[in-house]
Amino acid sequence: MRVSGIIHQQICQLKWHLLACLGLIMVLPVEEAIVSLRAGDGFFSSGMTSLAVMFGPLLAGLIACANVQGDLNEKLYIFWRSKPANVKLLITIKFFTGLIASLIILACPVVFAFVSNIIWNEEGIETVFFEHYLPLLITIAIMTYSLCFACNVLVRKTARAWLIGMLTGCFLLVLPFMLPLDFKDFVSDVMLWSWGPYLAIILATPTAAFVFALYAAKHDWHLKTNLKGLLWVGAGLAFLLLMLISSQVANIKVLHEKEIELEFGQGSLDYAGSRVVYQGDSYIDNDKEGISFRKIGSGNVMTAPYGNIGTDSAGRRIYYGPRVAGYLEAIYPQYGNRLYKDTGNEIFFFSIHAYYRSEGQGPSHKRFYEKVYLRSYRHSGDSWMPVSELDISECLTDDIRHIRMAMRLIDDRLITCVNNSFVVVDTTNPEELKLINKKIDVLQKYRPYTNKDRKEEFAIPLVPVEEIGLQERIRFSIDLNYRFYNYRNDIYKSSIVDTYDDKIAFVFIDWDDVVRFDVTRWDEEKIYCRFSTSRPFTILEGVTGTPDRFGPRFVKNGNLYCYANSTLLVFDIRSNRRIRKLGHFVRMDYDIEDIAVLEDGNILLGMRWDPELVRNRFNERKNYLYLLKNPE
Amino acid sequence: MFRMLLWKEWKENLWKLLFCGGASVVFTIMLFRIRIIPDYANCILISFIQMFAVPVIYSLDIFSGEISNRTVHLLFKIPVPRWMLFFSKYIVSAVGIILIFLISGLLMEFMSQGREATVLFLLGTNSFCGMAALVLFTWFCAFGCQSRSEAGSLVVIFGVFIGWGIVLLWSNLCEVTWAERFVPYSLIMMRITEVGIVGTLLSQILAFAAVLSIACYRHVSIRRYL
Repeated sequence: MRVSGIIHQQICQLKWHLLACLGLIMVLPVEEAIVSLRAGDGFFSSGMTSLAVMFGPLLAGLIACANVQGDLNEKLYIFWRSKPANVKLLITIKFFTGLIASLIILACPVVFAFVSNIIWNEEGIETVFFEHYLPLLITIAIMTYSLCFACNVLVRKTARAWLIGMLTGCFLLVLPFMLPLDFKDFVSDVMLWSWGPYLAIILATPTAAFVFALYAAKHDWHLKTNLKGLLWVGAGLAFLLLMLISSQVANIKVLHEKEIELEFGQGSLDYAGSRVVYQGDSYIDNDKEGISFRKIGSGNVMTAPYGNIGTDSAGRRIYYGPRVAGYLEAIYPQYGNRLYKDTGNEIFFFSIHAYYRSEGQGPSHKRFYEKVYLRSYRHSGDSWMPVSELDISECLTDDIRHIRMAMRLIDDRLITCVNNSFVVVDTTNPEELKLINKKIDVLQKYRPYTNKDRKEEFAIPLVPVEEIGLQERIRFSIDLNYRFYNYRNDIYKSSIVDTYDDKIAFVFIDWDDVVRFDVTRWDEEKIYCRFSTSRPFTILEGVTGTPDRFGPRFVKNGNLYCYANSTLLVFDIRSNRRIRKLGHFVRMDYDIEDIAVLEDGNILLGMRWDPELVRNRFNERKNYLYLLKNPE
Repeated sequence: MFRMLLWKEWKENLWKLLFCGGASVVFTIMLFRIRIIPDYANCILISFIQMFAVPVIYSLDIFSGEISNRTVHLLFKIPVPRWMLFFSKYIVSAVGIILIFLISGLLMEFMSQGREATVLFLLGTNSFCGMAALVLFTWFCAFGCQSRSEAGSLVVIFGVFIGWGIVLLWSNLCEVTWAERFVPYSLIMMRITEVGIVGTLLSQILAFAAVLSIACYRHVSIRRYL
């Protein structure tokens, strides 16, 4: 057999298909170029070339099917089989001729874009797509070509072979997204590198398909297909795929969902002992019938006004805070959250109130913080009443333009941090706050996370609070270091540190993974830490939105809870060998406002639906409370 | 006789209704239960997939099946006008497409009760996609009623999808409003933007009637295979 003769015959056989594909793939770029020319910009294409190239894998499959069908349809195949032809050689030449032809077709819009942009576009060509996505699309086109080729050798029906080839290609491409049924977390259990399987699949499939096609042709394998059967199998596969994808990103069961009437503010969830308080006015109870609210106290409780008219310990009416008009107020915790203390008979909360003056407008706007108070409120009758106050304005020192605030209640000791200073307050009787210790300008500047921390041991400053145990000190120091960058932090109610079996570890969320560090040792001034393990986010997790470095996250009972906008992720971080994902909850277009983990591990989520883009189409903003099952 | 033809087509194409309807119901229940994306986005996703998949499945062998199985000879020997043969196929397919969209639209509406989307929004969106699917199928009939194989039908239906996509793109880029109104996809855009409803509907009805007539004429004029 003359190889050149076969190649010539193949090209002649395919020419009309190639021309049709060329026409299809060039329509969009040429159309864009004409429109640009009419607009006076010049005859060039940019955006539509990317779109056209995306059709490349589909057209490559089409060329493959036409290529096979040209010689292997029933009557022609009988003719070929009767000749002393080398089947493997024929199929090999056929395969590579078609492949090269389809790659040339794929290259046409790219060449057109490059040339037209070089000649007519003054701004030059946008190369991002060509650098990052074109190689991937080319490899995918090779994959779909090979699959369709192999399928048509087996099926001998163009349309069915194309459909099967494309479905198989899609299935293989989505395969890395899927969670194998017997693995809890695909990434940490199976994959080390999320792009690895992609490359492996894309590169291995053409080889496997080519070898399969050779054998199928050699042994005259012929699969009789039935359209109905094919469609049912395709639908079944799609269903299976969707099930597996949903098991990756929607695997936390919603036990109960309740719509909440909320006129202002956000759905805040805070702990008061073992109970959870919603919006500062109701305890949340959950039983078999779902979520229910129980008002704090007996009367109709109004949302805490944060007013400064209260009573002192003797019951006298008193004004708290500065008595000078014109101050604005910044409160910690923010957004209606509070640090509660339940004494059994009564319930209190603590908050830091910073008063500032505001000068200028727009870019020259400045704030000057002048007074800071630590205040306790008691729930009495139908409202929250301030009952005690400590002036801690000294903590501001000379930095009055910015403020950072944090606090944590450990037993009866309330550690309150303002900028680089802290005070320790005795809250045994919350109606009478007693200052125990005050240290000004002793907190060191927080040490930001860098990639170097993964390679070598690093140290975090130990907070010099003598009034609490060492373990709590370490926990507090780590939290301050990584979360005390402004006063929008949750240090008052949660921690990123996990303490278990006398081992202390903490987690950090990086741009593309969750990282665990172990505390190796400590001395009087520093805590020494070392990288332990990390768990990269999968592509699918990236698509649904992953929490960012400064997003809310905390550790409770060995689980890391982190959320961003509409996504909640739960990881088991207790092992220093691997971090495993336990659960994933997504409600796109919703906003997670607050979260609380109950004693039984179930999760309460305060969520908001706020359709901004299509407001007139939907009901106005709605608030929901979700009870999610513990993702064990 | 027309009833008998309808019955024959109904029996032959019932599996398509069951397949598409079953798949639509299963996927709707699944997506509306897991709610990764909000209900309206789920509705748009399902409706778009239906809009392309349902016409493809109906068009694969509705005309070409008779030719590739050689039953067209028998069919043409039945003493009925040729247009009845065409319309028996078309009506059964159209009823099937409408039923599939109606079932999934009602199911979406039922499952999203008390959630984000306003009442009847999902049903309306799904129905408009159904209308677009029916128009696309009609356009397929005009070009594909003489196709001899599944592959030919597939090429024609994809040609219709891509062709109208190109027209839509061109009419948007060049701001040719009158051409945009003839594009089947503009039914969905009209639903979303609520702009040019009357013009779009009138254009679509006119185009629909013309295309249906052409399709019927082309089917009637199949002579060379006999």
